[in-house]
Amino acid sequence: VSSALEARREQSLGTCWYLYGVVPASSAPDERFDWPSVTATGQVDVLGEGTLAAVVTPAPAVDFDQPGLDAHLQDAAWLESKIRAHEQVLERVLAHSSVLPFRFCTIYRSEESVRGFLRERRAELEAALGQLAGRVELGVKAFADRKRLAHRLGSGVQDEGLGEGESGGRAYLERRLAEQRSADDLERVALELVEAWHEELMAHAAAGTFLRLQTPEASGRPDDMLMNAAYLVEANDRGFIDAVAALRGEYEALGIVFELTGPWPPYNFVPDEAGTG
Amino acid sequence: LSSRDLTSYRAGDLSDGQPAQLADVLERVLDKGIVIAGDIQVNLLDIELLTIKLRLLIASADKAKELGIDWWEGDAFLSSRGERQALEERVRRLEEERGIEGETASSALGERSER
Repeated sequence: VSSALEARREQSLGTCWYLYGVVPASSAPDERFDWPSVTATGQVDVLGEGTLAAVVTPAPAVDFDQPGLDAHLQDAAWLESKIRAHEQVLERVLAHSSVLPFRFCTIYRSEESVRGFLRERRAELEAALGQLAGRVELGVKAFADRKRLAHRLGSGVQDEGLGEGESGGRAYLERRLAEQRSADDLERVALELVEAWHEELMAHAAAGTFLRLQTPEASGRPDDMLMNAAYLVEANDRGFIDAVAALRGEYEALGIVFELTGPWPPYNFVPDEAGTG
Repeated sequence: LSSRDLTSYRAGDLSDGQPAQLADVLERVLDKGIVIAGDIQVNLLDIELLTIKLRLLIASADKAKELGIDWWEGDAFLSSRGERQALEERVRRLEEERGIEGETASSALGERSER
């Protein structure tokens, strides 16, 4: 493959603008020289337009416009690297600013087109950013070895040192355990536990949502996933993290493990009205 | 966790310095976030199918291979619309069977029991 030919093709096709997300112009990140991007050499730029700014990368149209893009979208390795780059850029942005994350592969053909978008949708974008201001998304997952959990529940939790606690969750669990023994009951108890955890965490969150449960291949843990949830929390409030720590302490003896991820750009909490119009 | 303010965390810090699990990234970057069509029309059928395939891959690489969906090893997307629809149907059925489509914790503990 001739790189000169490649370069000429690139030149003739020009540049397009890959949009990662929108931030308030006042908090847009200004030092981005060592950032990753969706292109091999391209940098992350900020296009300010009034009160808003778009976080973009000028990208070769040969890769990010048709037909090149269509071909790339069939290439799993390409996809994974670009999807990860998209996420990493937004994570960097999040360290500086509130951010409205956009879905993978939102692409414009000119800088002016991006600016036009910011002007046209200003009201909705500002409203959406207002709702997310100062907030981040945290992920909470809970895992347990199903057989081990069943065994512990079935053989009485006192043996595991759970008996002395008076805290609500454990007392509740013990009561339930006295009644429930079959696998079906175990399932029901687990669902009730997840609901109880969710309720406790919601006390420290502005919003919360359940995500799909993942298999061990996806989660990277051998245990069964009991809960996969995302929460929108105030970035400077430790109450949520303390609540997760409390759950960890409370359920450790049962072999239940809580995993906290993030802070994520608030993907799961972008207001609907900003998303589809 | 330290007593630092969350604001002093860099994104991802809560994951103990580990890179985010691909599954966690996919379920956000591909499934969520603002969708406003840019200038370039990404083939929605492709993305849709891709998302389904990625989900399936997450659910079980072995199962996907068994079905001949080893696209990550380089095979092209199926060529005709009919084939795609057939595949989508198949994937949806499989997802339903495996209970990985649900948004709630309805399949907690992995093996869902019949009610």
